[in-house]
Amino acid sequence: MNNGKFDVAIIGGGPNGLICGAYLARTGLSVAILEARHETGGGLETLEFAGHKYNLHAIYHMMPEIMPPYQDFNLKARGVKYIFPDVQTAYFNKNRPPLLIYRDPEKTAQFIATHFTEQDGARYRRMYHDFSEYFQKILLPFTYVPAMGALDMVTALDNSSDDIGRRFNAITELTPTEIIDLYEFTDPLKACFLNLFTMWGISNFDGVGFLFPLYFNRMTNAALCAGGSHRLSSALYKTFIQAGGVVLDQAEVIKVSTTGGKADGVILKDGREIKATAVVSTVDPRQTFLQFFDPEEIPHELRQSAQKWEWEKQVFFGLHAALSCSPRYIGTEEYPDANRALISFFDISSTDAILDHADAIEAGRLPDRPLGHATCASIFDPIQAPEGLHTGRWECLVPFDADWEGIKDEYTQKCLSIWKSYAPNLDPIDIYAYPPTYIEKKFKNMVRGSIKQGSYKILQMGAFRPNDYCSRTWTPIGNFYVCGASVYPGGLVIAGPGYVGANVIAEDFGVKKTWEEPQCVTQARRNGFIRGL
Amino acid sequence: MTDYDVIVIGGGINGLTCAAYLGKAGLKTLLLEARGECGAHCDTAETNIPGFLHNLHTTWLVTAMSPAMGELELERFGLELRTTDVIYAKSFLDRKNALICNNPFETIQNWEKLSTKDAGIIRAATETFLPRIMDLIDIFHRYMFTAPSVQTLDDLDAIYSPFFKQIGMNTTFRQVYEMNGFEAMNRMFESEYIKTMLQSLSWISGLSPIHPRVGSIGTALLGPLTGPVVPVHLCKGGGHSLTHALVKAATTYGVTILTCCPVAAILMENGKAAGVKLSDHAVIRNETFTARTIISNVTVVPTFINMIGEDRIGTEMAARIKAFSYEEQNIIGVYYALSGKPQFASADFDEGIQRCCMGYFGGENSAEMETYARNLVGRKIHEKAIGNWFIPTLADPGQAPEGCHTSFVWFDVPPTPGKWKDETINGFMDWGRIKERVADMITDTYEQYAPGLKNLILDRTIYSPLDMYRNNPSAVKGNWAGGSIIPGQFYENRPVPGVIIKGASRTFLPNLYLSNSIHPFGSSNLASGYIAACEVATDMGVRDQGWWNEKACMWLLANAARIPANLGVGRTS
Repeated sequence: MNNGKFDVAIIGGGPNGLICGAYLARTGLSVAILEARHETGGGLETLEFAGHKYNLHAIYHMMPEIMPPYQDFNLKARGVKYIFPDVQTAYFNKNRPPLLIYRDPEKTAQFIATHFTEQDGARYRRMYHDFSEYFQKILLPFTYVPAMGALDMVTALDNSSDDIGRRFNAITELTPTEIIDLYEFTDPLKACFLNLFTMWGISNFDGVGFLFPLYFNRMTNAALCAGGSHRLSSALYKTFIQAGGVVLDQAEVIKVSTTGGKADGVILKDGREIKATAVVSTVDPRQTFLQFFDPEEIPHELRQSAQKWEWEKQVFFGLHAALSCSPRYIGTEEYPDANRALISFFDISSTDAILDHADAIEAGRLPDRPLGHATCASIFDPIQAPEGLHTGRWECLVPFDADWEGIKDEYTQKCLSIWKSYAPNLDPIDIYAYPPTYIEKKFKNMVRGSIKQGSYKILQMGAFRPNDYCSRTWTPIGNFYVCGASVYPGGLVIAGPGYVGANVIAEDFGVKKTWEEPQCVTQARRNGFIRGL
Repeated sequence: MTDYDVIVIGGGINGLTCAAYLGKAGLKTLLLEARGECGAHCDTAETNIPGFLHNLHTTWLVTAMSPAMGELELERFGLELRTTDVIYAKSFLDRKNALICNNPFETIQNWEKLSTKDAGIIRAATETFLPRIMDLIDIFHRYMFTAPSVQTLDDLDAIYSPFFKQIGMNTTFRQVYEMNGFEAMNRMFESEYIKTMLQSLSWISGLSPIHPRVGSIGTALLGPLTGPVVPVHLCKGGGHSLTHALVKAATTYGVTILTCCPVAAILMENGKAAGVKLSDHAVIRNETFTARTIISNVTVVPTFINMIGEDRIGTEMAARIKAFSYEEQNIIGVYYALSGKPQFASADFDEGIQRCCMGYFGGENSAEMETYARNLVGRKIHEKAIGNWFIPTLADPGQAPEGCHTSFVWFDVPPTPGKWKDETINGFMDWGRIKERVADMITDTYEQYAPGLKNLILDRTIYSPLDMYRNNPSAVKGNWAGGSIIPGQFYENRPVPGVIIKGASRTFLPNLYLSNSIHPFGSSNLASGYIAACEVATDMGVRDQGWWNEKACMWLLANAARIPANLGVGRTS
């Protein structure tokens, strides 16, 4: 059963598939996106139920208006608006006053100087300044070009005219806690800052400490997509459709077809076959290399690396609540801003406690007292709840292996009691518990509750993501590309893999790009940080 | 210069249809939707265990009868219909069932087990109407897809009156038309099984049998046709797939769709509709857009009272519009994730029910159906659950994980209940308090007709009229039909006398049209959106399009045979 021929067939209609597809369709290529679910958007899911908008997966967008598609597709005119709350995070702990981190670093520094110590305020200024520079000059441009080998990158940074390259190299071998130590922070501030990194389930000890400045920067500049996360995917979808792209829903790919060792199409579970000059996978390496190809069709190393692929050990348990009012936190009489934080963290006390908590989860133990955080998006975006009501979300790290169906309700009550102990006015009228097993049930590429198609550990990052043969979109298989969250630079709605994939594929097809290189990338080339594509 | 030729307020399926037609006809069209997703009544969501798709409203589609099916190329844009060969089953406590099948001769076989006389009537209908299908389609097209007219009713009379005579009913169409559905059924059939089945089918189509004209159109006219013509389907991926197809069509035809953009006001200039202003909750806050034509796809009260304002339409007109009723066509739904397929107790009588994706239980006889209907008007929640059940996975197994099924029940309820059994209920807001208990009653009743059901339930989601309203405030009180379908709001009276001044969508305010709350009423036939598109295109001089000539049901006649059936039947467990 032949169902059409396209220039490009993209497996997976998540953010990266949609972005890659929209760029390519706009060059005039015929592109089909094959989505296994009934809805595109992947983790950009917003469940609308009884007027509440529940962002069941992605909620904090960390590259909101700076991701290239935002400008290139004029997403603003398509109704994608970002809301940047003034207060990004509030840390509540019953033994001390709250810590507020504002988007404006100066406000944060003053808050810390006033409520903690003068020196800490000055340290914050210095750390923020350094991290912000790393972000602007290095981390941001590197997000939107193909992966560079670690050694090439170190050399390029070392030999650059701007000494920031050498300063960045000096911290890349450190762990997040060691980086924070450089700025002489102690608990509780140290713990709070560390948490902005560990809250993503990334280990302090996996050798990816260089990500700390990135996450610190992102998490102090996070935004909500107005109307819910799905507004971004919906706008990308319409961009793609308008450019002539074809989306097939409930089109689960089971096989990539090949001729003479080169990919030439896909076969769907329902028997349909779709032919394409190039095939792109945006799903995880296990599906891609172990299921879509027979062993003899691909190099042995590819299978091996896919077999070794690891999922995250720390995953999320979530609660999505219809609330009759927004949470009012205790001890905020003198800190009215604390009730307007994008994210409220509870119980963070010491660095050791955070590290122990992470260790316990990595070892598969379910925390008896979860370290959770909460967001009430409707405070900033009233359209996310019916008039007069609110929509809240709780999230905490847990291990995947637990009898989630059995303990779901009890764990819900446990999380709720912690949240309520800080916000006694909280009175949910409806709760939708979302254990990590639900993530796996929903997305075939989010195995064991993964949220980024695979763990962030040093051997699965940078030029090793998903392996050193495929981290630059090209693969050893002819006409076959990869550009999902399991490919450099990774997941969490940063648009990197899809954007890089589109650039690579457009060049291979020899089509004229309708977009310009981002300025930050051009600048990084001038600085000598980036060479080649 | 205006920003757009046309602005459509509201991206439900009729607003989308209207916009897609006008976009395809070359008009610069903007569609504004208040919610995040278009197609409010066509939500398909994973509200409990992921992998189980629940159709929060639209499930059975009659889209196949719409000219839009071909003219908007909905298949090309991904709409794939599915069906089961038995399309409707009413089950009874005495373990019998009455069926309607895609093949009329199978329907007759089932009816013969219930009543030879009634089976004879459906056979006569089949033999009479099948050869005249083109005449019927012509009248049907005019009835559903053009403005109400006396001529159409006369033409219906010319077809139906001889048939009524043929089957021994001494009544004309006009006489039957003035009856309610219970009377009409008593005149036509003898079997309570058949009568209550057709009453229920009329009811769930939006035409409550308790009302004259409304109920007789639903039962006595729909009834005989259910043998020869059953244009009922589900679609692959759930009701929201219809929205997907319409959004893709509209986007491809150049329509700009902005979501999370509730309209606060329709702007007037020199007494004419000239633009809109968005609310301060919109993603583009307080923005204004101008256009030569404004089409409101939200219902009549939000349109005129909230967006235009009483001061602009006069107190007398405002009072009439405010009296528009949303009190019927409201349901509470219970959505089950099931580990296996429900087994109906009546399968021994006719196993066809096990191959049926939708049906009805409760309302054992006409008297009980009538009490149920009267309770609804009297704002009492009926003390026994009666309702429309679905097992969508029998037609489209992809709506649940392998081996599992979804099912749900819709129970008609007054949105502002005053009483339930002996309990006083305090109206609309009380749904939050009582919905769990009402859902328990529904589950208990479902178990009676499908023993063992409870053991299959993995999870459930409840959707009350209050939830439906919060989901879509244009559906006042959770009404799904654009306002109650009652004689005073039906056909030539719809929505409110004086609001529509010519045709079916042109309002008394120049340049303002309605594509909802108008004739026929909200349904997945996409008729209201089609009618508004025809009238706007005519008025803007773009109606003459080579591609825009199709009649109702033409797509279906050409394609019905290749619609896949029974894909989920016979699966294990």
